[in-house]
Amino acid sequence: MAVGAPALHEALGDIAGREHLLRDPAALADHAVDGLTPAAVIRPGSADEVSRVLGLCAAERLALVVRGSGTALALGNPPRRLDLVLDTSRLRTVRDYVPEDMVATVDAGVTLDALATHLAPHRQMLALDPPGGGSRSVGGVLATHASGSFRFRYGTGRDLLLGVRFVQADGTLTWGGAKVVKSVTGYDVPKLMVGSLGTLGVLVEATLRLHPVPPASRSWRLGFGSAAAARAFLAALLDSTLQPDRAALLDDGGLRRAGLAPDAVVLLIGVSSAPEAVESQGQALERLARAHQGRAEILADSAWRSLGAAAAGPVLLRVAAEPSRLLDWVTAAQSAAARLGVGVSVLAQPGHGVVQVSLWAASDPARIGPELIVPLRRAVEAEGGSLVVERAPTELKGSCEVWGSIDREILAITTRIKMEFDPDGLLAPGRFVGGL
Amino acid sequence: MTLTPQILRALEGIVGPAGLVVSREGLLTYECDMHTFYKGAPEAVALPVSTEQVAAIVRLCRREHVPIVPRGSGTGLIGGAMAPVGGVMVSTTRMNRILELDFPNRCATVQPGLINLWLSQATREHGYFFAPDPSSQMVSSIGGNASTNAGGPHCLKYGITVNHVLGLEVVTGAGELVRLGGKAHERPGYDLTGVMVGAEGTLGLVTAVTVRLTHVPEGVKTILASFSTIEDASEAVSAIIRAGIIPAALEMLDEVVIRAIEEGVGAGYPKGAGAVLLIELDGPAAEIEAQSAPIEATCRDHLALEIRVAQSEAERALLWKGRKEAAGVFGRLTPNWLLQDAVVPRSKLPQIMKELLAIAARHRLVIANVFHAGDGNLHPLICYDDRVPGELERAKQANEELLGACLRLGGSVTGEHGVGLDKSGSLSMQFAAADLNFMARLRRTFDPDSIMNPGKLLPSHPACGEGFRPAVRALPAGTWI
Repeated sequence: MAVGAPALHEALGDIAGREHLLRDPAALADHAVDGLTPAAVIRPGSADEVSRVLGLCAAERLALVVRGSGTALALGNPPRRLDLVLDTSRLRTVRDYVPEDMVATVDAGVTLDALATHLAPHRQMLALDPPGGGSRSVGGVLATHASGSFRFRYGTGRDLLLGVRFVQADGTLTWGGAKVVKSVTGYDVPKLMVGSLGTLGVLVEATLRLHPVPPASRSWRLGFGSAAAARAFLAALLDSTLQPDRAALLDDGGLRRAGLAPDAVVLLIGVSSAPEAVESQGQALERLARAHQGRAEILADSAWRSLGAAAAGPVLLRVAAEPSRLLDWVTAAQSAAARLGVGVSVLAQPGHGVVQVSLWAASDPARIGPELIVPLRRAVEAEGGSLVVERAPTELKGSCEVWGSIDREILAITTRIKMEFDPDGLLAPGRFVGGL
Repeated sequence: MTLTPQILRALEGIVGPAGLVVSREGLLTYECDMHTFYKGAPEAVALPVSTEQVAAIVRLCRREHVPIVPRGSGTGLIGGAMAPVGGVMVSTTRMNRILELDFPNRCATVQPGLINLWLSQATREHGYFFAPDPSSQMVSSIGGNASTNAGGPHCLKYGITVNHVLGLEVVTGAGELVRLGGKAHERPGYDLTGVMVGAEGTLGLVTAVTVRLTHVPEGVKTILASFSTIEDASEAVSAIIRAGIIPAALEMLDEVVIRAIEEGVGAGYPKGAGAVLLIELDGPAAEIEAQSAPIEATCRDHLALEIRVAQSEAERALLWKGRKEAAGVFGRLTPNWLLQDAVVPRSKLPQIMKELLAIAARHRLVIANVFHAGDGNLHPLICYDDRVPGELERAKQANEELLGACLRLGGSVTGEHGVGLDKSGSLSMQFAAADLNFMARLRRTFDPDSIMNPGKLLPSHPACGEGFRPAVRALPAGTWI
């Protein structure tokens, strides 16, 4: 049946309800992925409906892309084809939450804010704060392996996802992992799903490890006059017994975008613990900063929420390299942008070696791919790192690989996995590494 | 299955005569892991010294359709590192070097046979340690820890092995030599490192591991709290977690275990207590002080008989020695036992302890408990004497009922020991057919010819024949849980 066939739309409408099948051109244009407009957008209201939609897609060979809040929809190669966008925003029930267990099972479409509101009365949290903010969906954050300042202590979705329910390409509802904090039953399917970008299945439910909100917390802004000073301070911090829970690094451009006072390099550090421990760690932190010519100021906790603006550029690169090289890649990205006369802002993850580089207005955008991304990536990859184009206009994606080079053997395994679970290439075809 | 002389010659050509075990007596050493209930000797044991040798072994075995069973130190508790259908066992014990210590990047790269504790010993003077601390850590290997995704008392705070593995070098069952992950903390593509950790050698052989190193905390405080009943102790655990405090470790030992330990290693646990909690806090000194007061108050609220803080490193080490060697002293109490590793949601601890006591009474058995209470990860030891007719059957029945009770409460079949041969049949209690099918297909993508550790991890029906048979004793002395 052709994707435009009325009978097909009727079948889709029967599954989710007519009002949840969008077909008007304006709505479809809003849901375009890399310039490809879907023939329909469907918003299933349950895991069972997702299963039936995928069953129908499998029977009719329809290609689909999953959409959570739409924040990170720019990630990936342009799809090879696109018939349907599956919007998870109606999957928004917190299924199971026992505060004493510090575990919650939620639908994939639940937003970080909604979950936070649910957990707040019990002084618990999901320690994920990716750029893009609280309107992002749990499923989207997991599928894109997004992370933020809390990574410093709590890790990423990889560390926090205990169990996952997903729908395979053939419509089979599948569960992996467990609903308890510790389980080694079979393969760690949740790990496979984190960062898989909807290419192996559609996430419909996540069981997440939660953390207590510590009784007190305070944040510091540590300003450094040079990358060298910041580098020395960071090395000393990581080699100390201090236990911050969140950390971020911004350059001058990043600070301006985030609405913070400018400086060459700034580290934002949060400490959470018992009040007296926050106090004593804070003093130690300030001493350490001063010893490295840093200026320490108390930062309003609300500042953390503004950091996403530093990573909101029309082009966003993600460099992941050895953690000790963080400042070097910040500097390299800045100089590469300066050479091309491109505005730049940096938001980085100290301790994890991840640098998000936003590129703003460029006089000659066509040069960004070959003259900035390609050489920067070559340098990063030579040291065992990677550079992913997290966001870019479709034409720019055409001028440089989105994912960079993938080891041949790893690509072979990746291809076998993709072919095993999506042999017809219906789940986000072409979006993933190696054009899978 | 019989290895032909040609295959044996080829193996010898790869690892040399000193790296190959083929004698009947030699092979007996490898017929089981610490779960001696399951026995099956391999037809040959290869002890490679390099990644290249491992890759050559896999290529040979693929070509000849010979099963491969990986083995680290053999301290597993699940019938994992044994050969139910024969074939070649690949032991990593000669690949036990630290390849690189990289303190600026807070990581180390080691060969799989490196003993867990050696890494912490090598890094402690620089202020670092390797956080996963299974009780077997003085003898178990990091490759084995990664393959089983081992836990340990301190994973309550620090996470299990997978949270500390940054990268792996692996020879897959398909014969590819791949480097997954690495010093960079993320990489485009599927998280194959995450899939490989805990795969119990069914997807490939790990030839090198890059792990996180954790900074030694500023302070540590070890508290021992004793209670008259295990129910009171369980309520105290739930209350501590409910208060939003996650200690570094929170371990439970019951009366039977305390007695055995005191008669064995003598750790200074209070005799006569119904249960003991071993609680450890670590981190910034001020945080420890701030957290220990409410913990002690909570224990008192739950009728603690005694609360004692270790006053010296020696006293602390002794308290931990008792815990870590607990299972080793069980021979004093019972000739045989079955060991479980089920998990319950942590709020259900008091409830499962009540059910456990009822099950023990119903089957007229002693069930001893020493476990990771903070995680809800139980380690009930169901004691029996196989010389008493019917006791083994009652023990098995009690085991099934207990497992069922844990799963009804929303738990898991195994928290840290893994599946192996022992629990492969139990997975269907936790997973639907579609879930298991997904895992089986995932396995095939790494091991298309089904040569890697056949019969383990997933429910299957290996052509077992006489390959494995119940042994007389269930667990040897010197077992770590």
